[in-house]
This record gives sequence, structure tokens and C-alpha cells, in this order.
Amino acid sequence: MKRSRLIAATAVAASLALVATGCAATGGDEGSSDEPVTITFWGSYGNGGNSAQQDVLNDTLIPAFEAEHPNITVQYVDVPYDDLLQKLTTSAAGDELPDLVRADLGWVPKFADLGVLVPLSQAMPDFQELADATFPGVLSTNLWKGDYYGLPLDTNTRVLITSQAALDAAGLDAPPATFADLEKAAGTLEGTGISLFADGGLGAWNISPWIWSGGGAITDDDMTTASGYLDGAKTVATVQMLVDLYQAGQISTGITGNAGATSTAEGLPGNNYATIFDGPWMNGIWADQFPDFQPIYAPIPAGDGGSVSVVGGEDIVLTASSKHQEAAMEFIRFTQTEQFQMALVPTGQLTVIKDFGDEQVATVPYLKVFTDQLATAKARLAIPQGSEVDTILNEELVPAFEGTVTVKEALGNAAKRIDELLAEQ
Amino acid sequence: MRRSRWAALPAAARIILLSVGAIIMIIPFLYMVSTSFKTATYVFTTPPEFIPDPATTANYEQAFSTGDFGRYFLNSLIVATISTAISLLVSSMMAYAFARFTFRGKEAIFRVLLLGLMIPAIMLIIPQFILAKNLHLLDSLGGLILFYVAGSLSLNTFLLRGFFESIPAELDQAMQVDGAGAWRRYWRLALPLAKPGLATATIFTFLACWDEFTLALTLTNSPENQTLPIAIRLFAGSGNNAVQWGLVFAASVIAVVPVIIVFLVFQRYFVQGLTSGAIKG
Repeated sequence: MKRSRLIAATAVAASLALVATGCAATGGDEGSSDEPVTITFWGSYGNGGNSAQQDVLNDTLIPAFEAEHPNITVQYVDVPYDDLLQKLTTSAAGDELPDLVRADLGWVPKFADLGVLVPLSQAMPDFQELADATFPGVLSTNLWKGDYYGLPLDTNTRVLITSQAALDAAGLDAPPATFADLEKAAGTLEGTGISLFADGGLGAWNISPWIWSGGGAITDDDMTTASGYLDGAKTVATVQMLVDLYQAGQISTGITGNAGATSTAEGLPGNNYATIFDGPWMNGIWADQFPDFQPIYAPIPAGDGGSVSVVGGEDIVLTASSKHQEAAMEFIRFTQTEQFQMALVPTGQLTVIKDFGDEQVATVPYLKVFTDQLATAKARLAIPQGSEVDTILNEELVPAFEGTVTVKEALGNAAKRIDELLAEQ
Repeated sequence: MRRSRWAALPAAARIILLSVGAIIMIIPFLYMVSTSFKTATYVFTTPPEFIPDPATTANYEQAFSTGDFGRYFLNSLIVATISTAISLLVSSMMAYAFARFTFRGKEAIFRVLLLGLMIPAIMLIIPQFILAKNLHLLDSLGGLILFYVAGSLSLNTFLLRGFFESIPAELDQAMQVDGAGAWRRYWRLALPLAKPGLATATIFTFLACWDEFTLALTLTNSPENQTLPIAIRLFAGSGNNAVQWGLVFAASVIAVVPVIIVFLVFQRYFVQGLTSGAIKG
């Protein structure tokens, strides 16, 4: 008995010592690319039981790449999306990362900050050329302390989605194009039982399109301060408009975290909500679950700042511990080609390359609004504590929506807390 | 006291109360089974339909034909069965020692062992990952078995110690007089008499290993070595993707079958096991 505990205690002590040294990994490069190598690539293409993307990758794209590079084998590992971050974090601590990762764009600064990624802008001689071809909003998510740690792989953005039934109820001929149109529609909808707008929270993904379209900002361009921007006059006015609509019952309580509120995915087809903001994936969801529903896509309503949405998507990053960095960079170049980008468009992935936009719309017409919106869409704060920004916005804004503090006060508090995060950089 | 008052309640009221309880417990399960026979279009109908119309077995066909579902199922079966067997053997030996032997520091060591019950598993994930890496057990079923056994020892030892202590010491002494050694007393006397406890521990351990997700996700990479919870998670998807609930529930129904079998096999000991453990522990 004693011995087994002793062994266990020794094992625990040893593992703790290893954790301490685990992060200090550096990678090697084999240089010569003639020897057969295998590179591993982690991502979430096969997620959701819908294996269309994974099939394209495994059956078409990877074989095409391997045919061009006979000495390189690519092994793709599919990881459930929600658990990829945890698996990456554990693997980073254990120095067992794969060569390439398809990382959510919010994770790049986090892993760059841990020192487990290769700065591609230094390692790839042709980086600038590749970077210039991509949409600036999604490219910017790879920037961390002056270097780019990845390249955009696929992207998406939120647009306004409505339905003919909702437009009829709101007395509109066309989807609301401006904040003024929205406020007018809210008046018409009063008493119909249909709420003007619904969303699932108040994080940066949710609230940024409003703030930017209203002419406000979250921080200055250099990301040094939020005070004076997040609590600036235009941001306050935009959020005040939302708070007024919320208090008039025109925005669903889902936005302040009521998990019992009808979800946006069900509420729009069910005619509970007149408009929502969401991404291109909704098309597939509705096609399966509400086959009779015809969504209408339109740009984010414009305020003083025009129509500005938020960028989502994934980047491809190379890990510092990769032993086959040259081969991995060849695969990264392959992901930026027309062959790779266009093969995934029919499966719901938007291309990150500006020049392929027209071809994308020709292939999948409903993506037109998304493609146009991406031209001006902006990225959320690219800092390692990106998820804390969401927490702060939610915590500070919910009381403002509930009317217990003023909007100005709530945004001022949020700005102060975000300033603290920015000061840590 | 409580018991006699309970017995005095009119039988009808008792039956109604129990039926309501049973219905509440069974509805999510029925809903799962029913949804597994629906096409995606009918999953969200209001009010919810419990008898799928039209019914389809497409979800089951898709579950079995997607990827290596059979492989995942077999992996889970191997890992859960072997882990349960090893864990039961090792923890019953440990429990027997704690129950029957006197040695210095016994209670202190027992309390250290109980710490295993108090530390949340997620806190151990990085040390376990590094340990597995250094033992060359990453991405292997052997690695999962090792950590599942280690993870279940505390609870099982705690549970079984109570059972062994409830067996009259006189029986042990009688066997000892007849010349039986410690192993013989453990194997021939203690184990057979602690069957309810062993059944309880088997059910708990098997269920825990069968359902375990986080460690399996962290330690394994290749589909050949992944287990059922990961397969179901991959079906479920999240956030940006359409969840095919019919498919997820079909996979879940398939996954529940072995658990039901284990319960059916061990249930006659199970209830007895829970109560005797409770009094004598």
C-alpha cells in the first residue's frame, strides 16, 4: 500500500516538474525537403456530423497537395470545435503540438503570446505577397506585437437576416438599411408580438457591428486605450438606442443572457423576431430544420459609421515545435490557392482572398451579401485575453439594458476594465 | 418512524406520486429514443412529438456508416471493460488491506487516498498528459486504461473498505486458524461476501470509463484510438454548425445499450450494495 502511494507521489512530483519545463519548447527544421516527411494538421472541419468539409479536405485537397509534393504526407486530425482550445492548451504545455493548426482567429494572439507559434512574417519570404491578397479584417487577427503569426484560412461575418413575413409585419418594402429604418419599424411592430431584433449576448461578436456602424469604436487604432472610445459619444448613443429598444420590448431578453428566450435560429423562422444578425452557416441549419423558411440577407443597418460588421473565421498557424517547418509552410501556401479556397466555398466556408469574391458569389449566390460585407468588416481586439473582453462587455452592459445604471456609466466601467487588459500587453 | 408513516399513505397516492417521478425520469430518455427516429425537419416541431411520424432509421444507418463508429464503440468497450476489471482487482486488494490489516500510518494513508476523490479531474489534465507522454502512452488505449484505473481507485477502495469491514472478523479468524493465508482469505472469503459492493463498484467504474470524455480527447489523436464520447461529440458539433440532433441521439441510444446491459446484469446486487455500504462505511 505504502509503495503504491509512494510511486504515485513520485509520479505527481515528476509530472509537476515537467509542467514547469514543458512550455520552453523550441522546434527544429530539417531543412532539406527531399526526405519523406509527415506533417500533422489539427482542425474542426468535420464538426457537426456534417462531414462535407472534411471530405473535401481528405478526399480532394490533401491528395492534390500530396501529388504535387510526393515527399510530404499530410495527416489531418479532426477535433470537436468546442474542445480544440483545451486540447491545444494541454498539448502546448506538454510540447506535443501538431505542425499546423486551424485556429479560431481569437486564439492566435493567445498562442503567439505563449511562444508556441512561428512568426510567419519572418519565416516565409513570400509572406507579404500572400498577406496582401487576403481581406484586411481577417488578416489583422494574426498580428501580435508587430509580427504575423498566421494566415487567414476561411472567414465569415454577420449580416442582417430577416424574412418576408417579418418585413410585411413591420411595414417595410426592403430590409432596414439604416438605424432610422430600424427605429421606425420598431414603432410598427409594437403590439404585434414580434420583436424587432434578437441576439444571444452582448459580447464583442454581438455588439461590435452596432458600435462600429454607429460610428463608435472599442479602442483607438493602436489598441492602447478603450477610454474615450468605448465610452465615446457615438458609442453611447448607439448603445442607448439598443437599450431603449430593449426596454420597449423590441429586443429579445436573450441578449441579456436569458437562456430561456427563444433562440435566434428558431425565432426568426418562427416569426418571433423580425431581424437577427448571423453568419452564412445559418443557411444550412434552416435548410435542414426549417425547409420552408426563406431567409433574406441584407447588410448590417448603417448608422453614422456606415455598415460595418465583425469578422469571424479561422487562421492557419505553424507551431514552433514542428520538425518539418518547410513542408508545413508549403501546405500553408497551398491553403491560399484558388484550388483550396474555392473547393471549400460550396461547403459554407467563405474565401479569405479578395480576388476570389466574384467567383464565390457565382458559385453560391446567397453569399453575395456576406462577401460585400467582408470588404469593410473589422476584427475584434486581437489580444490574448479576447474572451475576457466579452465577459467585461456582458457584465457591464447587462445592468445598462436592465436600467439599473446609465449607458454612459456602464461603458465607462467597461472601458476602464479593458484599459487594464490593454496595459498588460 | 418515517417508514410507518409512509406505509400509512393510501396506496393510490403512493402509486400516483411514484408514477409522476418515473415519468419525469423517463421522458428525456423517451425523447432521445424518439428523436433518434426523426428526420432533421421534425426535430423541432411544437408541441414535441413522441411518436415520430414519419419514422426513419436513417440516423442509425448514418451513425454506423460515418467514419469508424464501430471502431469507436469497440474501443470504448475494450477500455471500459479492462479498466473496470483492473480497477476492481486492485482496489479490492487495497480495501481488504485497509479493512483487515493493522499497520503504521494506515488511517493517514487512507486519507491521502481519499484526496483523489476531492481533486477535480480537470486540474490533473496537464500533469496526466505529460506523464502519458513520458510513458509513451499518448494516443493509445493503454494510456486511457492506466488513467481510468488510477482515477477510480479512490472511490472503489473507499466503497469496498466499508463492505469488507462489515464482514464479521470472526470468519477471518476461523479461516486463519484453519491455516488459510491472507490471499486465500481475501479471495475465498472476502470477495464472495462483498459481491454487492463489487457490483456497485463495477457499475460506477464501467459507467465512468464508458462516458469519460476530457481525458480521452486530450490523450488520443488518431481515430483508431478514440472512444465513443468523442464520436458523439463530433456528431454534435457546436456553435457555427448545424447540429444533427437525430444523428446525435441515434448515436447516444447505441451508446446507452452497454450501460443498460451492465445495470441489468449487476442490478440485483446494486440496491443491496448501496444500502449496506451506507450503513457500514
